Amino acid sequence: MKAPENKPLIQIQELNVEYRSARGAVRAVENVSFELFPNEVFGLAGESGCGKTTVANAITRLLKPPAFITGGRIMFRDIDILRMSQEELRAFRWDQLSIVFQSAMNALNPVLTIGNQIIDAMQAHQSISYEQARGHAKQLLRAVGIDVQRVDSYPHQLSGGMRQRAVIAIALALNPELIIMDEPTTALDVVVQKQILQEIKSLRDQFGFSILFITHDLSLLVEISDRIGIMYAGKFVEAGPSQEIFSDPKHPYTDRLMNSFPTVHGPRRELLGIPGAPPDLIEPPAGCRFHPRCELAIEGECDRIIPPLIRIGGARDVACHLVNEAEAVT
Amino acid sequence: MNRGNNGKQPILEARNLSKEFHTGGAFSGGTVKAVQGASFKLHRGHVVALVGESGSGKSTIVRMLARLYEPTGGDILYEGENVLEERGRRALLDYRSKVQMVFQDPFSSLNPVHRASHAVQRPLKIYAKTRGRQDLRRKLIELFELVSLTPAEEFVEKYPHQLSGGQRQRIAIARALAAEPEVILADEPVSMLDVSIRLGILNLMAELREKQGIGFLYVTHDLASARYFSDEILVMYAGFIVEQATSEELISNPKHPYTQMLLAAVPDPSRGLKTEDTDVQGEIPDLTDLGSGCPFAPRCKHVMDACHEAMPEPSPLEDGRWVRCYLYEEGAPVV
Ligand SMILES: Nc1ncnc2c1ncn2[C@@H]1O[C@H](COP(=O)(O)OP(=O)(O)OP(=O)(O)O)[C@@H](O)[C@H]1O
Ligand SMILES: Nc1ncnc2c1ncn2[C@@H]1O[C@H](COP(=O)(O)OP(=O)(O)O)[C@@H](O)[C@H]1O
Ligand code: SF4
Ligand code: SF4
Ligand SMILES: [Mg+2]
Ligand SMILES: [Mg+2]
Repeated sequence: MKAPENKPLIQIQELNVEYRSARGAVRAVENVSFELFPNEVFGLAGESGCGKTTVANAITRLLKPPAFITGGRIMFRDIDILRMSQEELRAFRWDQLSIVFQSAMNALNPVLTIGNQIIDAMQAHQSISYEQARGHAKQLLRAVGIDVQRVDSYPHQLSGGMRQRAVIAIALALNPELIIMDEPTTALDVVVQKQILQEIKSLRDQFGFSILFITHDLSLLVEISDRIGIMYAGKFVEAGPSQEIFSDPKHPYTDRLMNSFPTVHGPRRELLGIPGAPPDLIEPPAGCRFHPRCELAIEGECDRIIPPLIRIGGARDVACHLVNEAEAVT
Repeated sequence: MNRGNNGKQPILEARNLSKEFHTGGAFSGGTVKAVQGASFKLHRGHVVALVGESGSGKSTIVRMLARLYEPTGGDILYEGENVLEERGRRALLDYRSKVQMVFQDPFSSLNPVHRASHAVQRPLKIYAKTRGRQDLRRKLIELFELVSLTPAEEFVEKYPHQLSGGQRQRIAIARALAAEPEVILADEPVSMLDVSIRLGILNLMAELREKQGIGFLYVTHDLASARYFSDEILVMYAGFIVEQATSEELISNPKHPYTQMLLAAVPDPSRGLKTEDTDVQGEIPDLTDLGSGCPFAPRCKHVMDACHEAMPEPSPLEDGRWVRCYLYEEGAPVV
């Protein structure tokens, strides 16, 4: 659980990223700011193409042309990741950061046993004997719920769920402070997914690290995250404690998103979803980027003026003219 | 939402369907029992969901019903007629026009070099649903409008790469509708789509069953969407259908221990993830070396001696639902 008095581990300030293409610049991330605290699980949600992966890749500095960071800072404690020298960057990626992608389980080396892949990661990193590393590898496999007998198995001998757990074990081998997980369980069944998520969360409780968790599955995101940020068309529209956003969404987009997925909990109800589709980010709509799909849009205002992300009491941030006015009145 | 269908003849029925695959070499090979003794009925205008983990046999059932796989055992009945006994191209073509498929992957199911119109025209021609060019064009536009790809005149001209995943899936549905089917077998049609787009497709299919009386077999591993879209849910585990009930009954009162585990695994946003929960555990078995007992036994909290001997037969419960588990056999202790 997050301790609010803590200093943030990661602080993203006014981040702007664009992809340059023949048709023009895709403004994939615009003025995004948020913080990730030590030990916190922060979830990023939003429809496909809204910029989640781009944010993740900016933090890890994995963005390559045609992607360009056109503004902002990403502070790791007191250092700006965007201004790190190659040397500093290597050290940061090496010591503080691990990344787990959706397809990571397919990126395991097919000719090495999973035990040796964990051992390699550790030995490349710190001076540790093979025997010590092997002992530690077994502990990690146990921690992610893989039978230690499997330490000498090759990736093809494991199911998809087990391979993805092995990837998480490798990510943990380096004892990182930050793990970025981009759709880590999307390709897996719910039962396996639940097992892995429980594992991740108890490892977090045990070892202490922060997670930036990305998924388009909102119920899962709300379930696992301490706080979440909702992105729409490259911008943050709402952020705050996940349970509060789930039970009382403030932004019209969040509200519709929360009404877009069926659930097995509670009574069955008709779902309306969100009419239309997200905009082309080469020429995003003026004003609030959601206005063409928003039933509550105020003519002359929402289509002209960009709503700023404003703190509305407690720890909630919302970017909507309507909400901002309502809050100003009360 | 159970409509009275008592006594009415089902449009499509599976009776004791089984499928075995032989894998590997002549000596090292094994037999995968992908589906064992699957029986169920689908009525006009009804939606039956087939739910289960990866590898449980859902797609194999669909492919047998689509006549893409020859069953190892059992029967398929269309309006009471045994489909497997009918021979000849004509009969197969007739059946295929009545029982259409929609697949999971909206990206690979359309040919990238052809315009959207191509995919939908083909079945119109193959199943001879049109007379002349003008009629073809009219039908084409009608179908695009039916799946809400409007303005249809524009959409028919587009290539797959100019369409979003949701739009491609709408074309896949239009293509299925072109054959004027009675039944659509939809194998994970929304799994690869985003939340809001997913809902749009589910609502479109719900409208088609409502307005056109099409029966759907909806395959998914997502219980929540099964509950949303279907009247009835079949739960599969390791090749067996282990439970059948109306959607609401199954969700609110699951009987089979596996169904209970599956439900417990669905994320519950109102609750938050509890690391101490132990209701979800174990792994699905390898289908090549299944014993004769209940395949869920290694993961089951309630396992008894009998469970290792033979797979229990379906036990009928109230309201026409049934379950294959010794806990519900007559005389068994009630859980
Ligand atoms: N053509 C085939 N040859 C050999 N084995 C097969 C074949 N098709 C399916 N199987 C096996 O049959 C079993 C059931 O597979 P099936 O594709 O029906 O599962 P499913 O429930 O649709 O899974 P998913 O949710 O991953 O789509 C699996 O063990 C699979 O490996
Ligand atoms: N290599 C690229 N070239 C051009 N545009 C890209 C590229 N990668 C992503 N984009 C665009 O940037 C936007 C954000 O993409 P992404 O960060 O992948 O979103 P998400 O992870 O939320 O689905 C989208 O409009 C996408 O089409
Ligand atoms: S700013 Fe206006 S258009 Fe945007 S979400 Fe709020 S009300 Fe809707
Ligand atoms: S038959 Fe036995 S092992 Fe199988 S689910 Fe029922 S109690 Fe469990
Ligand atoms: Mg992404
Ligand atoms: Mg399948």
